[in-house]
Amino acid sequence: MKSTSGDSTTINISESRNKTVAKGETPYVRIQAAHPMHDQKGGWKKGISIFDFILRLGATAAALGAAIAMGSSEQTLPFFTQFFQFQASYDDLPTFMFFVIGMGIVGAYLVLSLPFSIVTIVRPHAVAPRLLLLIFDTLALTLNTSCAASAAAIVYLAHNGNSDANWLAICQQFGDFCQQSSGAVVSAFVAVVIFVILILLSASALRKV
Amino acid sequence: MKAGGAVDATDKEASKPIPIPKVRVSRVLSVLDFTLRVVAALGTLASAIAMGTSRETLPFTAQFVRFRARYKDLPTLTFFVIANSIVCVYLVLSLPLSFVHIIWTAAKNSRIVLIISDTVMMGLLTAGASAAAAIVYLAHYGNSSTNWFAFCRQFNSFCERISGSLIGSFVAITVLVLLIIMSSVAISRR
Repeated sequence: MKSTSGDSTTINISESRNKTVAKGETPYVRIQAAHPMHDQKGGWKKGISIFDFILRLGATAAALGAAIAMGSSEQTLPFFTQFFQFQASYDDLPTFMFFVIGMGIVGAYLVLSLPFSIVTIVRPHAVAPRLLLLIFDTLALTLNTSCAASAAAIVYLAHNGNSDANWLAICQQFGDFCQQSSGAVVSAFVAVVIFVILILLSASALRKV
Repeated sequence: MKAGGAVDATDKEASKPIPIPKVRVSRVLSVLDFTLRVVAALGTLASAIAMGTSRETLPFTAQFVRFRARYKDLPTLTFFVIANSIVCVYLVLSLPLSFVHIIWTAAKNSRIVLIISDTVMMGLLTAGASAAAAIVYLAHYGNSSTNWFAFCRQFNSFCERISGSLIGSFVAITVLVLLIIMSSVAISRR
């Protein structure tokens, strides 16, 4: 009979011969043998978990930076003309509001996922935390990409305008506002790339080999 | 104390419930994966075609408004059509690999390749669909702060066409998210 628990394998040997052992008692001999797979691959999974944690810190900085940069973008022109507004802020465009709220949610999720990442470092072979992180990372990736792409479409419009729809390029007037919102969009896309790498790491570390 | 440990073992195992065989759950997941991939391919194809054939010409001419609207007039909608076409082609090409997973449920590395490519394609599709959604929102409501005019007032059927074509794309995004999650669950079960 062989039972496997954790890292050791116990082999029970029952004595068939009658020795000085009392009747009904069976001596057990425990042979401690480390599970060969765990020793070899534990370090590899732990390395992935540490890299995952570092990347997660980077993604948190990128996501929160994007939200703050867009949220604090506001510019008031010192002059005003007949046809153009002289003040631009992120809440003038609903897409930018969606961007700020969405990146805030993604940043908050990343902060909350840091403990789970630490758990995967401490216990490299546990499947549940990694699977949970992968599922929520996928959802967060979707939200992040959605916010970043829609804000990018508006920023593109602000830079170039559209002659067919008679949409003017507001970047000509609001240079600082444009720069800050463009930088926020770039930071959000950096977070998207980091999320894709995080998902790949979690998927490759989920294998039982 | 019983003589011999073997008797203890069989008693314990007899009282445990019989688990569902791992192969059956993996096979169900693989079949579901294949079906959802077909659904997503159809969704992206429908979106690309609906947006690509959107065209409206107004019967009259107004002073400041163009009288013809096509998807090519807005670069973001062009990006939407291109992204949907790429993802549709990718999904059709990944159908054989998904079919192989139904037969060979023990595959590990090919599932990881599928997760990687699914994630990248999902990012591309979400980017295209969200950017197009932002433009369609502007087309419906305009923006008073930036003096951007809502052209849906003039181009009704064009507007309806581009709004409806977003639906297939967003359905495909949801399906891709489900595919990634299912593939990762299938990997973790082996």
